[in-house]
Amino acid sequence: MIRWAIWIAGGLVLGAIIHIAVILSLPLLITESLWTRVSTIDALNRPVVLAAPLAGEPNPLRLDPELAYAVCRIDLRQGPGVVQGLLPQAFWSIAVYGRSGTVIYSTTNRDGIGQVLDLGIFNAAQTRLLAEQQLDIAEGLLIVESREDDVIVAVRLAPPHQAMRRRFEADLAKLSCGNLES
Amino acid sequence: MRFLGPLLTAIFVALAAGFGFSWYTLNEGTLFGTISVGPWFAWEEAGTATPDPYTRAHVARTGALQLGASEGLHFVATTDSDGLRLDRDCRYRIDGTTPVATFWTMVPVAPDGTIITHPDGPTAFHSKRIARASDGSLQLYVSKTLSPRNWLEITGEGPFALQLNLYDASSFAGVGTAAAEMPTIIREACL
Repeated sequence: MIRWAIWIAGGLVLGAIIHIAVILSLPLLITESLWTRVSTIDALNRPVVLAAPLAGEPNPLRLDPELAYAVCRIDLRQGPGVVQGLLPQAFWSIAVYGRSGTVIYSTTNRDGIGQVLDLGIFNAAQTRLLAEQQLDIAEGLLIVESREDDVIVAVRLAPPHQAMRRRFEADLAKLSCGNLES
Repeated sequence: MRFLGPLLTAIFVALAAGFGFSWYTLNEGTLFGTISVGPWFAWEEAGTATPDPYTRAHVARTGALQLGASEGLHFVATTDSDGLRLDRDCRYRIDGTTPVATFWTMVPVAPDGTIITHPDGPTAFHSKRIARASDGSLQLYVSKTLSPRNWLEITGEGPFALQLNLYDASSFAGVGTAAAEMPTIIREACL
């Protein structure tokens, strides 16, 4: 009886090791990630307005049907990223994601930004150049440091009513997104 | 040979415990990395740059556009306030108040994230477009059958979840969940 208990206890210890290995390795093994999903959209250096999720249809990005979304991808190896534009007088927010889908940075227009979106994304090397004042950037640019070179930017915009969605989506489409021109 | 039986048992226990517990923690999501208020739970660090390993695995697995920590918090309920699975054949009343937020939305979804409202009706509740009681509390209904006040008509069969998206939810910024009140989900009747 004791021998069986020891074997089962050994099995539980091995199970704990398997559990830790699964949790830690899962982000590396996933084939359907946020990155692969956004990569299927032609959103490199341009904002793409996402279609509102409809009832009964797949919603892999788990979008909120009440919000309008624009996403774009930026490769920071080509230079610092920049997202700029004028957004309507309504709640909006912006989030920067890394390849693993984790949020590197997020903010809302309630943080004193107002209607003007002017966000710069810099990798570690570019941040160093910025600190050494070797990069010229516009005054007022909100600076975000990214540890990764591949980033996704998502802008959420909340139309006060669905009747205003089309106009709000048109405003999202007018955003500029890409690499900072030197 | 006499070790074969215990060895196979140990391997079975290891695989069942290892993979089973991993599945449980990522699907039920109430043991590690989450905050729970009544039937509602949220992956608290899903919108942060350095989430814990469980949240990181959850974020990778869902492949969704998570809300950033500054943007808000995404709560999910898969059971009612009595702990029973939400079933599309039942009518649910959602009562009470929500935490302080600029606005919130509530969406009924299938386990795979598909919105399950009627195609010809609204897809979600929006905090700025619902009728409230005089004290500001809310009373929402989610069901297949006609219901009074604020009603979302759902379709299909089987289990579902309610997603509550709190935008600009300052009440969760460092204060803790003790101060946060979440609405109750009450099962009224089933078909």
